[in-house]
Amino acid sequence: MGRVGGTHTSGGVPGIGLAKGLAVTLRTMTRRSVTGQYPDTSPELPPRSRGVIALLEENCTVCMLCARECPDWCIYIDSHKEAVPAPEGGRPRSRNVLDRFAIDFALCMYCSICIEVCPFDALFWSPEFEYAEYDILDLTHERDRLREWMWTVPPPPAHDSRAERPKELSAAEGAEGRPGRGPRG
Amino acid sequence: MGVINLGEPRVGTISRVAPKPIKFVLNWGRRYSLWVFNFGLACCAIEFIATSMSRHDFIRLGVIPFAPGPRQADLMVVSGTVTDKMAPAVKRLYEQMPEPKYVISFGACSNCGGPYWDSYCVTKGVDQLVPVDVYVPGCPPRPEALLHGILRLQEKIAGESLGERYGPASPVPVAQPQAESRPPSPAVLRRPLQRPPQPTSADRPEDPPEASPENPPENPPREPPQPPESSSGQRPDAAPRPGPLPPPNSVRGPADPSEPNLFLP
Repeated sequence: MGRVGGTHTSGGVPGIGLAKGLAVTLRTMTRRSVTGQYPDTSPELPPRSRGVIALLEENCTVCMLCARECPDWCIYIDSHKEAVPAPEGGRPRSRNVLDRFAIDFALCMYCSICIEVCPFDALFWSPEFEYAEYDILDLTHERDRLREWMWTVPPPPAHDSRAERPKELSAAEGAEGRPGRGPRG
Repeated sequence: MGVINLGEPRVGTISRVAPKPIKFVLNWGRRYSLWVFNFGLACCAIEFIATSMSRHDFIRLGVIPFAPGPRQADLMVVSGTVTDKMAPAVKRLYEQMPEPKYVISFGACSNCGGPYWDSYCVTKGVDQLVPVDVYVPGCPPRPEALLHGILRLQEKIAGESLGERYGPASPVPVAQPQAESRPPSPAVLRRPLQRPPQPTSADRPEDPPEASPENPPENPPREPPQPPESSSGQRPDAAPRPGPLPPPNSVRGPADPSEPNLFLP
Protein backbone atom coordinates (compact mmCIF):
# COMPACT_ATOMS: atom_id res chain seq x y z
CA MET A 1 0.00 0.00 0.00
CA GLY A 2 1.17 3.50 -0.71
CA ARG A 3 1.49 6.24 1.75
CA VAL A 4 -1.58 7.87 3.15
CA GLY A 5 -2.05 11.15 1.37
CA GLY A 6 0.54 10.42 -1.25
CA THR A 7 2.29 13.74 -0.72
CA HIS A 8 5.46 12.61 -2.40
CA THR A 9 3.94 11.28 -5.57
CA SER A 10 1.33 13.83 -6.56
CA GLY A 11 3.01 17.14 -6.94
CA GLY A 12 3.78 17.86 -3.36
CA VAL A 13 0.42 19.29 -2.47
CA PRO A 14 -0.26 17.92 1.01
CA GLY A 15 -3.50 16.08 1.42
CA ILE A 16 -4.24 15.66 -2.29
CA GLY A 17 -4.64 11.93 -1.91
CA LEU A 18 -7.15 12.36 0.85
CA ALA A 19 -9.07 14.85 -1.24
CA LYS A 20 -9.13 12.44 -4.18
CA GLY A 21 -10.41 9.68 -2.01
CA LEU A 22 -13.11 11.86 -0.58
CA ALA A 23 -14.07 12.95 -4.06
CA VAL A 24 -14.69 9.34 -5.01
CA THR A 25 -16.73 8.93 -1.88
CA LEU A 26 -18.81 11.99 -2.62
CA ARG A 27 -19.36 10.98 -6.21
CA THR A 28 -20.60 7.53 -5.39
CA MET A 29 -22.57 8.66 -2.38
CA THR A 30 -25.17 10.34 -4.53
CA ARG A 31 -25.61 7.43 -6.93
CA ARG A 32 -27.90 4.53 -6.51
CA SER A 33 -26.39 1.29 -5.40
CA VAL A 34 -25.82 -1.32 -8.06
CA THR A 35 -26.25 -4.20 -5.67
CA GLY A 36 -28.97 -6.62 -6.64
CA GLN A 37 -31.01 -7.82 -3.70
CA TYR A 38 -31.08 -11.39 -4.89
CA PRO A 39 -33.00 -13.45 -2.37
CA ASP A 40 -35.63 -10.73 -2.09
CA THR A 41 -35.82 -9.78 -5.74
CA SER A 42 -35.21 -12.14 -8.60
CA PRO A 43 -32.52 -11.02 -10.99
CA GLU A 44 -33.33 -9.78 -14.45
CA LEU A 45 -31.89 -12.50 -16.58
CA PRO A 46 -31.02 -11.86 -20.19
CA PRO A 47 -33.14 -13.60 -22.82
CA ARG A 48 -32.13 -17.15 -23.68
CA SER A 49 -30.47 -17.62 -20.33
CA ARG A 50 -29.11 -21.10 -19.83
CA GLY A 51 -30.31 -22.13 -16.46
CA VAL A 52 -31.63 -25.65 -16.65
CA ILE A 53 -32.70 -27.95 -19.46
CA ALA A 54 -36.38 -28.81 -19.63
CA LEU A 55 -37.75 -31.85 -21.38
CA LEU A 56 -41.03 -31.96 -23.23
CA GLU A 57 -41.24 -35.70 -23.20
CA GLU A 58 -44.31 -35.79 -25.41
CA ASN A 59 -42.07 -34.65 -28.24
CA CYS A 60 -39.26 -37.06 -27.55
CA THR A 61 -38.94 -39.88 -30.04
CA VAL A 62 -35.92 -41.51 -28.39
CA CYS A 63 -33.72 -40.78 -31.36
CA MET A 64 -30.76 -40.55 -28.94
CA LEU A 65 -29.24 -37.65 -30.84
CA CYS A 66 -28.91 -35.54 -27.70
CA ALA A 67 -27.24 -38.31 -25.76
CA ARG A 68 -24.85 -39.01 -28.61
CA GLU A 69 -23.93 -35.41 -29.23
CA CYS A 70 -23.51 -34.48 -25.59
CA PRO A 71 -19.82 -33.71 -25.07
CA ASP A 72 -20.03 -34.80 -21.46
CA TRP A 73 -22.30 -37.80 -21.93
CA CYS A 74 -24.46 -36.49 -19.17
CA ILE A 75 -27.79 -37.56 -20.69
CA TYR A 76 -29.09 -40.98 -19.82
CA ILE A 77 -31.80 -42.48 -21.99
CA ASP A 78 -33.36 -45.88 -21.66
CA SER A 79 -36.07 -47.00 -24.01
CA HIS A 80 -37.70 -50.02 -25.48
CA LYS A 81 -39.68 -50.79 -28.58
CA GLU A 82 -43.33 -51.53 -28.56
CA ALA A 83 -45.24 -53.18 -31.36
CA VAL A 84 -48.31 -51.28 -32.39
CA PRO A 85 -50.73 -53.19 -34.59
CA ALA A 86 -51.20 -51.53 -37.93
CA PRO A 87 -54.61 -49.97 -38.45
CA GLU A 88 -55.57 -51.89 -41.61
CA GLY A 89 -53.80 -55.13 -41.17
CA GLY A 90 -50.27 -55.58 -42.34
CA ARG A 91 -47.06 -55.60 -40.47
CA PRO A 92 -47.26 -54.26 -36.92
CA ARG A 93 -45.41 -51.01 -36.52
CA SER A 94 -42.75 -50.64 -33.87
CA ARG A 95 -42.60 -47.56 -31.73
CA ASN A 96 -40.00 -46.29 -29.28
CA VAL A 97 -41.11 -45.78 -25.73
CA LEU A 98 -39.07 -43.71 -23.34
CA ASP A 99 -38.22 -45.49 -20.11
CA ARG A 100 -35.77 -43.12 -18.55
CA PHE A 101 -34.53 -39.68 -19.46
CA ALA A 102 -32.12 -38.12 -17.02
CA ILE A 103 -29.66 -35.28 -17.22
CA ASP A 104 -26.82 -35.10 -14.76
CA PHE A 105 -26.58 -31.41 -14.03
CA ALA A 106 -23.53 -31.95 -11.92
CA LEU A 107 -21.78 -32.85 -15.14
CA CYS A 108 -23.58 -30.79 -17.75
CA MET A 109 -21.49 -28.06 -19.31
CA TYR A 110 -24.48 -26.08 -20.53
CA CYS A 111 -23.27 -26.05 -24.11
CA SER A 112 -26.79 -26.29 -25.56
CA ILE A 113 -25.77 -28.85 -28.16
CA CYS A 114 -28.50 -31.25 -27.10
CA ILE A 115 -31.10 -28.55 -27.55
CA GLU A 116 -29.81 -27.63 -30.96
CA VAL A 117 -29.63 -31.15 -32.29
CA CYS A 118 -33.04 -32.18 -31.03
CA PRO A 119 -35.00 -32.62 -34.25
CA PHE A 120 -38.42 -32.60 -32.60
CA ASP A 121 -38.01 -29.73 -30.13
CA ALA A 122 -38.20 -31.78 -27.00
CA LEU A 123 -35.50 -29.91 -25.08
CA PHE A 124 -35.64 -26.30 -24.03
CA TRP A 125 -33.68 -23.89 -21.95
CA SER A 126 -35.25 -22.65 -18.80
CA PRO A 127 -33.67 -19.71 -16.96
CA GLU A 128 -34.12 -21.26 -13.53
CA PHE A 129 -30.88 -21.60 -11.64
CA GLU A 130 -31.98 -22.34 -8.10
CA TYR A 131 -31.36 -26.03 -7.81
CA ALA A 132 -28.28 -26.34 -5.64
CA GLU A 133 -28.49 -29.57 -3.69
CA TYR A 134 -27.09 -31.15 -0.55
CA ASP A 135 -26.48 -34.43 -2.30
CA ILE A 136 -24.89 -34.79 -5.68
CA LEU A 137 -27.27 -37.56 -6.66
CA ASP A 138 -30.13 -35.10 -6.51
CA LEU A 139 -28.50 -33.15 -9.30
CA THR A 140 -29.40 -35.92 -11.70
CA HIS A 141 -32.85 -34.81 -12.72
CA GLU A 142 -35.08 -37.61 -13.86
CA ARG A 143 -37.74 -37.21 -16.50
CA ASP A 144 -40.51 -36.05 -14.20
CA ARG A 145 -38.34 -33.32 -12.79
CA LEU A 146 -37.19 -32.34 -16.26
CA ARG A 147 -40.82 -32.21 -17.29
CA GLU A 148 -41.57 -29.93 -14.36
CA TRP A 149 -38.95 -27.49 -15.58
CA MET A 150 -40.94 -27.21 -18.77
CA TRP A 151 -43.42 -24.96 -17.00
CA THR A 152 -40.71 -22.41 -16.44
CA VAL A 153 -39.60 -22.15 -20.04
CA PRO A 154 -40.29 -18.62 -21.29
CA PRO A 155 -41.72 -17.96 -24.72
CA PRO A 156 -39.06 -17.25 -27.32
CA PRO A 157 -38.11 -13.60 -27.47
CA ALA A 158 -39.67 -11.57 -30.24
CA HIS A 159 -37.67 -10.88 -33.32
CA ASP A 160 -36.26 -7.46 -33.95
CA SER A 161 -38.69 -5.13 -35.62
CA ARG A 162 -36.82 -5.04 -38.93
CA ALA A 163 -35.46 -8.50 -38.86
CA GLU A 164 -35.94 -10.98 -41.65
CA ARG A 165 -39.08 -13.03 -41.38
CA PRO A 166 -38.68 -16.54 -40.05
CA LYS A 167 -38.15 -18.98 -42.87
CA GLU A 168 -40.71 -21.35 -41.43
CA LEU A 169 -43.46 -18.77 -41.78
CA SER A 170 -42.56 -17.92 -45.35
CA ALA A 171 -42.35 -21.56 -46.28
CA ALA A 172 -45.71 -22.33 -44.73
CA GLU A 173 -47.42 -19.43 -46.45
CA GLY A 174 -45.81 -20.27 -49.75
CA ALA A 175 -47.03 -23.84 -49.47
CA GLU A 176 -50.53 -22.62 -48.71
CA GLY A 177 -50.71 -20.19 -51.61
CA ARG A 178 -49.54 -22.69 -54.18
CA PRO A 179 -52.50 -24.39 -55.81
CA GLY A 180 -52.78 -28.03 -56.69
CA ARG A 181 -50.36 -29.32 -54.16
CA GLY A 182 -51.89 -31.49 -51.59
CA PRO A 183 -50.30 -32.76 -48.47
CA ARG A 184 -47.61 -35.17 -49.28
CA GLY A 185 -46.12 -37.81 -47.10
CA MET B 1 12.74 -25.35 16.95
CA GLY B 2 10.99 -28.59 17.39
CA VAL B 3 7.78 -29.37 15.66
CA ILE B 4 4.78 -28.76 17.86
CA ASN B 5 1.85 -30.93 17.03
CA LEU B 6 -1.21 -28.93 17.88
CA GLY B 7 -3.68 -31.46 16.62
CA GLU B 8 -6.71 -30.72 14.56
CA PRO B 9 -8.94 -27.92 15.76
CA ARG B 10 -12.13 -29.54 16.97
CA VAL B 11 -15.48 -28.50 18.26
CA GLY B 12 -15.61 -28.50 22.04
CA THR B 13 -17.65 -31.03 23.92
CA ILE B 14 -19.84 -28.41 25.49
CA SER B 15 -21.17 -27.11 22.21
CA ARG B 16 -22.10 -30.66 21.23
CA VAL B 17 -24.20 -31.35 24.27
CA ALA B 18 -25.59 -27.84 24.51
CA PRO B 19 -29.35 -27.60 25.06
CA LYS B 20 -31.55 -26.67 22.21
CA PRO B 21 -31.90 -22.89 22.76
CA ILE B 22 -28.15 -22.57 23.04
CA LYS B 23 -27.75 -24.57 19.86
CA PHE B 24 -30.19 -22.30 18.15
CA VAL B 25 -28.18 -19.26 19.13
CA LEU B 26 -24.92 -20.90 18.15
CA ASN B 27 -26.30 -21.96 14.81
CA TRP B 28 -27.71 -18.50 14.26
CA GLY B 29 -24.29 -17.02 14.88
CA ARG B 30 -22.54 -19.50 12.61
CA ARG B 31 -25.07 -19.06 9.91
CA TYR B 32 -24.62 -15.35 9.46
CA SER B 33 -20.88 -15.04 9.91
CA LEU B 34 -19.36 -17.39 7.43
CA TRP B 35 -15.82 -16.35 6.75
CA VAL B 36 -15.25 -17.76 3.35
CA PHE B 37 -12.07 -19.18 1.96
CA ASN B 38 -12.06 -19.13 -1.79
CA PHE B 39 -10.37 -22.10 -3.29
CA GLY B 40 -10.47 -20.70 -6.78
CA LEU B 41 -8.89 -23.08 -9.22
CA ALA B 42 -10.30 -22.22 -12.62
CA CYS B 43 -12.82 -20.07 -14.38
CA CYS B 44 -15.56 -20.59 -11.79
CA ALA B 45 -13.44 -18.49 -9.45
CA ILE B 46 -14.29 -15.50 -11.63
CA GLU B 47 -17.93 -16.01 -10.84
CA PHE B 48 -17.07 -16.33 -7.19
CA ILE B 49 -15.20 -13.03 -7.34
CA ALA B 50 -18.14 -11.46 -9.12
CA THR B 51 -20.36 -12.65 -6.31
CA SER B 52 -18.12 -11.03 -3.75
CA MET B 53 -18.11 -7.70 -5.58
CA SER B 54 -20.62 -4.93 -5.23
CA ARG B 55 -23.09 -6.15 -7.82
CA HIS B 56 -24.03 -9.29 -5.91
CA ASP B 57 -22.25 -8.64 -2.66
CA PHE B 58 -22.61 -11.72 -0.52
CA ILE B 59 -21.61 -9.79 2.57
CA ARG B 60 -25.32 -9.01 2.63
CA LEU B 61 -25.83 -12.65 3.54
CA GLY B 62 -23.12 -12.63 6.15
CA VAL B 63 -20.50 -14.30 4.01
CA ILE B 64 -17.28 -12.46 4.57
CA PRO B 65 -14.60 -12.84 1.92
CA PHE B 66 -10.88 -12.39 2.31
CA ALA B 67 -10.32 -14.57 5.30
CA PRO B 68 -6.62 -14.32 6.12
CA GLY B 69 -6.21 -18.03 5.64
CA PRO B 70 -7.92 -21.34 6.11
CA ARG B 71 -7.34 -21.25 9.84
CA GLN B 72 -9.65 -18.29 10.11
CA ALA B 73 -12.28 -19.51 7.69
CA ASP B 74 -15.56 -21.32 8.24
CA LEU B 75 -16.57 -22.00 4.68
CA MET B 76 -14.51 -23.22 1.78
CA VAL B 77 -15.83 -22.64 -1.70
CA VAL B 78 -14.05 -24.93 -4.12
CA SER B 79 -14.58 -23.34 -7.49
CA GLY B 80 -12.82 -24.85 -10.41
CA THR B 81 -11.17 -27.95 -11.67
CA VAL B 82 -9.51 -29.93 -8.93
CA THR B 83 -6.57 -31.66 -10.49
CA ASP B 84 -4.86 -34.58 -8.88
CA LYS B 85 -1.85 -32.45 -8.33
CA MET B 86 -3.90 -29.89 -6.44
CA ALA B 87 -5.83 -32.48 -4.47
CA PRO B 88 -3.37 -32.81 -1.53
CA ALA B 89 -3.44 -29.07 -1.08
CA VAL B 90 -7.23 -29.02 -1.02
CA LYS B 91 -7.27 -31.76 1.57
CA ARG B 92 -4.56 -30.13 3.64
CA LEU B 93 -6.12 -26.68 3.67
CA TYR B 94 -9.48 -28.18 4.52
CA GLU B 95 -7.97 -29.93 7.49
CA GLN B 96 -6.52 -26.65 8.71
CA MET B 97 -9.91 -25.04 9.03
CA PRO B 98 -11.42 -24.91 12.51
CA GLU B 99 -14.14 -27.33 12.98
CA PRO B 100 -17.60 -26.12 12.29
CA LYS B 101 -16.49 -26.03 8.68
CA TYR B 102 -18.48 -26.20 5.54
CA VAL B 103 -17.66 -26.78 1.92
CA ILE B 104 -19.54 -25.57 -1.12
CA SER B 105 -18.65 -27.24 -4.35
CA PHE B 106 -19.16 -24.60 -7.01
CA GLY B 107 -19.44 -25.59 -10.61
CA ALA B 108 -19.42 -28.74 -12.66
CA CYS B 109 -15.69 -29.37 -12.36
CA SER B 110 -15.61 -29.48 -8.61
CA ASN B 111 -18.92 -31.32 -8.45
CA CYS B 112 -17.82 -34.32 -10.43
CA GLY B 113 -15.05 -33.39 -12.80
CA GLY B 114 -17.29 -31.67 -15.31
CA PRO B 115 -16.08 -31.71 -18.89
CA TYR B 116 -12.85 -33.29 -17.69
CA TRP B 117 -14.38 -36.32 -16.05
CA ASP B 118 -12.56 -38.48 -18.55
CA SER B 119 -9.20 -36.90 -17.96
CA TYR B 120 -6.35 -38.78 -16.41
CA CYS B 121 -5.32 -36.00 -14.08
CA VAL B 122 -8.55 -34.44 -12.88
CA THR B 123 -10.13 -35.42 -9.60
CA LYS B 124 -13.67 -36.53 -10.25
CA GLY B 125 -15.23 -34.17 -7.83
CA VAL B 126 -13.92 -32.53 -4.72
CA ASP B 127 -16.23 -34.75 -2.70
CA GLN B 128 -13.71 -37.48 -3.14
CA LEU B 129 -11.38 -35.48 -0.93
CA VAL B 130 -13.49 -33.56 1.53
CA PRO B 131 -17.14 -33.82 2.55
CA VAL B 132 -19.22 -31.33 0.61
CA ASP B 133 -22.29 -29.67 2.05
CA VAL B 134 -23.83 -27.96 -0.95
CA TYR B 135 -23.33 -28.64 -4.62
CA VAL B 136 -23.99 -25.71 -6.93
CA PRO B 137 -24.53 -26.83 -10.51
CA GLY B 138 -23.50 -24.81 -13.50
CA CYS B 139 -20.64 -24.37 -15.90
CA PRO B 140 -20.03 -21.81 -14.52
CA PRO B 141 -23.00 -21.13 -12.29
CA ARG B 142 -24.46 -17.68 -12.15
CA PRO B 143 -23.43 -15.55 -9.20
CA GLU B 144 -27.01 -15.79 -8.01
CA ALA B 145 -26.65 -19.55 -8.06
CA LEU B 146 -23.82 -19.24 -5.56
CA LEU B 147 -26.02 -16.97 -3.47
CA HIS B 148 -28.69 -19.63 -3.60
CA GLY B 149 -26.19 -22.25 -2.58
CA ILE B 150 -25.18 -20.07 0.35
CA LEU B 151 -28.81 -19.75 1.33
CA ARG B 152 -29.20 -23.51 1.19
CA LEU B 153 -26.11 -23.87 3.35
CA GLN B 154 -27.50 -21.40 5.86
CA GLU B 155 -30.70 -23.40 6.05
CA LYS B 156 -28.63 -26.48 6.68
CA ILE B 157 -26.61 -24.79 9.40
CA ALA B 158 -29.76 -23.55 11.06
CA GLY B 159 -31.15 -27.04 11.31
CA GLU B 160 -28.04 -28.96 12.18
CA SER B 161 -26.73 -30.29 15.42
CA LEU B 162 -23.00 -30.45 15.88
CA GLY B 163 -23.30 -33.53 18.01
CA GLU B 164 -24.69 -35.36 15.03
CA ARG B 165 -22.25 -33.76 12.66
CA TYR B 166 -19.09 -34.39 14.64
CA GLY B 167 -20.18 -37.02 17.09
CA PRO B 168 -18.36 -40.33 17.36
CA ALA B 169 -21.29 -42.29 16.03
CA SER B 170 -21.51 -40.70 12.62
CA PRO B 171 -18.51 -38.55 11.89
CA VAL B 172 -19.84 -37.51 8.52
CA PRO B 173 -23.41 -36.40 7.89
CA VAL B 174 -24.94 -39.05 5.76
CA ALA B 175 -27.92 -37.97 3.76
CA GLN B 176 -30.77 -40.32 4.39
CA PRO B 177 -32.10 -41.57 1.11
CA GLN B 178 -35.80 -41.10 0.68
CA ALA B 179 -37.18 -43.46 -1.85
CA GLU B 180 -40.05 -41.18 -2.78
CA SER B 181 -38.42 -37.82 -3.22
CA ARG B 182 -35.20 -39.02 -4.76
CA PRO B 183 -35.54 -41.55 -7.53
CA PRO B 184 -31.88 -42.02 -8.50
CA SER B 185 -30.18 -44.03 -5.83
CA PRO B 186 -26.55 -45.01 -6.38
CA ALA B 187 -27.58 -48.54 -7.18
CA VAL B 188 -29.88 -47.23 -9.85
CA LEU B 189 -27.23 -45.01 -11.32
CA ARG B 190 -24.67 -47.77 -11.49
CA ARG B 191 -26.87 -50.49 -12.74
CA PRO B 192 -26.50 -51.96 -16.19
CA LEU B 193 -28.86 -51.03 -18.95
CA GLN B 194 -32.46 -51.14 -18.00
CA ARG B 195 -34.53 -53.94 -19.40
CA PRO B 196 -37.81 -53.04 -20.98
CA PRO B 197 -40.84 -54.08 -19.02
CA GLN B 198 -42.13 -57.30 -20.44
CA PRO B 199 -45.86 -57.33 -20.68
CA THR B 200 -46.31 -61.05 -20.47
CA SER B 201 -43.98 -61.75 -17.58
CA ALA B 202 -46.83 -61.66 -15.06
CA ASP B 203 -48.84 -64.54 -16.44
CA ARG B 204 -45.78 -66.51 -17.39
CA PRO B 205 -44.30 -69.14 -15.09
CA GLU B 206 -41.23 -68.17 -13.14
CA ASP B 207 -38.40 -69.66 -15.13
CA PRO B 208 -39.31 -70.96 -18.55
CA PRO B 209 -36.05 -72.06 -20.07
CA GLU B 210 -37.07 -71.31 -23.63
CA ALA B 211 -39.71 -69.31 -25.39
CA SER B 212 -42.89 -71.30 -25.30
CA PRO B 213 -44.91 -71.62 -28.50
CA GLU B 214 -47.79 -69.63 -27.02
CA ASN B 215 -45.64 -66.55 -26.95
CA PRO B 216 -47.41 -63.70 -28.66
CA PRO B 217 -45.95 -62.86 -32.04
CA GLU B 218 -44.89 -59.30 -31.08
CA ASN B 219 -42.21 -60.82 -28.90
CA PRO B 220 -39.47 -61.93 -31.23
CA PRO B 221 -37.43 -64.91 -30.07
CA ARG B 222 -34.97 -63.50 -27.59
CA GLU B 223 -33.06 -64.45 -24.54
CA PRO B 224 -34.79 -66.31 -21.75
CA PRO B 225 -37.14 -63.76 -20.29
CA GLN B 226 -36.31 -62.35 -16.93
CA PRO B 227 -38.13 -59.96 -14.75
CA PRO B 228 -36.42 -56.58 -14.91
CA GLU B 229 -35.33 -56.65 -11.28
CA SER B 230 -33.40 -59.87 -11.56
CA SER B 231 -31.04 -58.68 -14.25
CA SER B 232 -28.18 -58.89 -11.80
CA GLY B 233 -28.60 -62.61 -11.50
CA GLN B 234 -27.69 -63.53 -15.01
CA ARG B 235 -23.94 -63.33 -14.80
CA PRO B 236 -22.36 -62.52 -11.51
CA ASP B 237 -19.33 -60.91 -13.07
CA ALA B 238 -21.31 -58.72 -15.43
CA ALA B 239 -23.73 -57.41 -12.88
CA PRO B 240 -21.80 -54.64 -11.13
CA ARG B 241 -20.42 -53.31 -14.36
CA PRO B 242 -22.19 -50.49 -16.11
CA GLY B 243 -23.29 -50.68 -19.70
CA PRO B 244 -21.04 -50.40 -22.71
CA LEU B 245 -20.64 -46.64 -22.17
CA PRO B 246 -19.60 -46.24 -18.57
CA PRO B 247 -21.62 -43.37 -17.19
CA PRO B 248 -19.54 -40.94 -15.23
CA ASN B 249 -21.52 -41.62 -12.12
CA SER B 250 -19.96 -45.01 -12.06
CA VAL B 251 -16.54 -43.66 -12.76
CA ARG B 252 -16.42 -41.50 -9.73
CA GLY B 253 -16.30 -43.24 -6.46
CA PRO B 254 -18.60 -42.66 -3.54
CA ALA B 255 -18.08 -39.57 -1.46
CA ASP B 256 -16.93 -41.51 1.51
CA PRO B 257 -14.10 -39.91 3.42
CA SER B 258 -13.55 -43.09 5.37
CA GLU B 259 -12.01 -44.57 2.28
CA PRO B 260 -8.26 -44.68 2.24
CA ASN B 261 -7.01 -41.49 0.73
CA LEU B 262 -4.75 -42.05 -2.21
CA PHE B 263 -3.18 -38.64 -2.15
CA LEU B 264 -2.00 -38.34 1.39
CA PRO B 265 -0.01 -40.79 3.44
